[in-house]
Amino acid sequence: MIHQNIPTTSVVAVDVWVRAGAIAEPEPWAGMAHFLEHMVFKGTDRLLPGQFDQVIEDRGGMTNAATSHDYAHYFINTTAPHLAETLPCLADLLLNAAIPDDEFERERDVVLEEIRQANDDPDWLAFQALIESVYQSHPYGRPVLGDEVGLMQRSPQEMRCFHRAHYQPENMTVVVIGNVTQSQTLDLVNQAFSQFPVRPTCPAAIADAEPPITEIRRQELHLPRLEQARLMMAWIGPGVDQLRNAYGLDLLSVLLAGSRSSRLVRELREDRQLVQAIGSEFSLQRDSSLFTISAWLAPENVDRVEALIGDRLSELTTTPISDAELTRYKRLLCNDYAFSTETAIQLAGLYGYYNTIAQAETAVDYPNQIQTFKAEELQHLASQYLSPYHYAATILKPL
Amino acid sequence: MSVNLTTAQLLENRQVHRAVLDNGMVVLAVENSAADIVSARIFVRAGGRYEPPEQAGLSHLLASVLTKGTGNLSSLEIAERVESVGAGLGADAAADYCILSLKTVSADFAEMLELAAQLLRSPSLPEAEVELERRLTLQGIRSMQEQPFSIAQKQLRQAMYQQHPYALPSLGTEETVAQISREDLQQYHQTYFRPDNFVVSIVGRIAPEEAIALVDQIFGDWQVPLTAEGEVPLPSLTLPTITSHPKRVISTQDTQQAIVMLGYLAAAVHNPDYAALKLLNTYLGNGLSSRLFVELREKRGLAYEVSAFYPTRLDASQFVVYMGTAPSNTAIALDGLRQEVERLCTTPLTQEELQSAKNKLLGQYALGKQTNAQIAQIFGWYEILGLGIEFDQQFQVEIANVTAETLQTTAHQYFAEPYVSLVGPAIAIDQIATPAIS
Repeated sequence: MIHQNIPTTSVVAVDVWVRAGAIAEPEPWAGMAHFLEHMVFKGTDRLLPGQFDQVIEDRGGMTNAATSHDYAHYFINTTAPHLAETLPCLADLLLNAAIPDDEFERERDVVLEEIRQANDDPDWLAFQALIESVYQSHPYGRPVLGDEVGLMQRSPQEMRCFHRAHYQPENMTVVVIGNVTQSQTLDLVNQAFSQFPVRPTCPAAIADAEPPITEIRRQELHLPRLEQARLMMAWIGPGVDQLRNAYGLDLLSVLLAGSRSSRLVRELREDRQLVQAIGSEFSLQRDSSLFTISAWLAPENVDRVEALIGDRLSELTTTPISDAELTRYKRLLCNDYAFSTETAIQLAGLYGYYNTIAQAETAVDYPNQIQTFKAEELQHLASQYLSPYHYAATILKPL
Repeated sequence: MSVNLTTAQLLENRQVHRAVLDNGMVVLAVENSAADIVSARIFVRAGGRYEPPEQAGLSHLLASVLTKGTGNLSSLEIAERVESVGAGLGADAAADYCILSLKTVSADFAEMLELAAQLLRSPSLPEAEVELERRLTLQGIRSMQEQPFSIAQKQLRQAMYQQHPYALPSLGTEETVAQISREDLQQYHQTYFRPDNFVVSIVGRIAPEEAIALVDQIFGDWQVPLTAEGEVPLPSLTLPTITSHPKRVISTQDTQQAIVMLGYLAAAVHNPDYAALKLLNTYLGNGLSSRLFVELREKRGLAYEVSAFYPTRLDASQFVVYMGTAPSNTAIALDGLRQEVERLCTTPLTQEELQSAKNKLLGQYALGKQTNAQIAQIFGWYEILGLGIEFDQQFQVEIANVTAETLQTTAHQYFAEPYVSLVGPAIAIDQIATPAIS
């Protein structure tokens, strides 16, 4: 359990993180973790389907949940006086989810709609194709939503098994932030999270380590209804066991395409005017992170932009970053950190996420770590991770 | 009537200070020392509503070029100045206002506000930047066609607003954006960017007196344009009145989901019915316990996304309910959405339902005023819309006072025949028997 008392607010945020994301699924069960996140809201012996939502929202609060490869998490944003009534309900859902057969069938239709909606989004399609190409062994390459054929074969019994196997104390982090004392929080959490389900035997997930990319894996997809092309490039980054390297790549990501003065935005959007937009992202994942550069552009510019990005990555490995540039992006990242930790719910998300994939303490250390990077270390990281000859690229073009 | 006071009064111990400078500029300041940061929102009474129809997209294009040059700074120099102190600065255009947003750590705030003032007062609007941003905007307009939801919204807006500027997307259309000249941008800037048409809203670790003095120091010498006859008046705006002529608008697109959207013309923010419509919107479409979510998603599994929105607007707004669904469910979805809206006209809410909706709206309203940027936004916005900062309290009282009877009367008044917007493959469109009237 993680707690922080903020007496100046009347808000309390509760965020429960469970190490039961898509990587916990055995392969034929793809989509189970996310579908379960939907089914958790369908109640228990004590709470009717949808009743939890009503309990929270009738008291002026908000609730929602999300699932990714490394986690599923469930949060409530409420006010201090309502914590004692709402937190136990959330715990009841998470520990005692009933997963009723009829609700399972109905909610599967909702998940299928979610998949259809995602399939109408070309950026989502491109990203799925990209991670599938990057992660050929590791489950990070699987779509979190699963697919229709696979979901139709799953049963409520299998889901109950998955739930009871993974929603166990060693996999859960309960974060409570806001206007509530530590002793109140401890009492509430201890009481609410005491009776865990009996562990069934459940098919285990296999997460093979991903071998490095040793070539350029390029795939081109042609889609209808497309108004411009996409170029998405990806590199495999370190896992949380090399957190410092991950932070360094975060810094390289903003320097390359994280702001208007960043190298690729300036050159490709503003000066050469070859792209509609370009951005880069570093997503920290437990086993291996993902570094991506994405551009929205005219189909005829794709090859040239890909080559230019390669050139700029080569430069990173040969020429040290200037002090002025380095200072600028350190400051940008540290300030972004300050801007994104203003509210209880933001802090709860940050601590919960870090505790799920590493340790919560590391989240707080982020600005200090960023400040200590020097040009040589970044140059070294660029040559270690961001090779212009070893990456995956997905290109979308109009039909 | 009881309200959830704990959440509704989140700001009660923080005072909103309001000052008017000699040049007419309004300054709002709220001190919040929780973190070492300051956010500012600078509002201009301009935006989509003030654009001539043949120049739709003017405000958006101006906002894009505004941060890309002043008399002595190039686009790159501006970006480097902002980013070297790790600040955020961006300009944007909305239907009822233009806005410049700024966030910094406290120590850098004065320097960044000074830069923002230069951009707002004397942008150089370099020709090359105008051309670049125009090209990017044109591509942006085309890219909106990739999203079924955007297509549905665009055609609905066009049908409902007819000749009113709200009919057109904030980016403008390919025809209008192609025609806007640098002179048009200058003219528009000169007309609307003047101190008596500005609201500066500042929230963070800065004393209110200090914030107000700082704005005075930076903007105080800016004068309202003068001629021999005195101050140049702001142009008066005559906009067409909008009347409801419900019809169906349809785009056949080869998508996996059909988007079904119903729209009703609804009250402007100054209309006494505003609070009741906001509450109806919350009850119907906001959150996991809303009626649309429960009836159409939870009980029938028809959609992943099903919701309602009722934007706050100076002129007639729209009340919209929508969902994305499998093409084979299009007729059922349309029917379901319609039935839920019509039920509001025929069946009053129970006392419990009414109280829950109020708690939800007021609680979530309070949760939406936590960050410096959120607080700066909401008060500045109320001020620029002419509602005044008191509206924050007034709105909450009005919500608390809405009765079930008022809700039913309001629903009955506004929710007669809907405009219907559909986007989807032929098998979805074919289910809707009545052909498009256009």
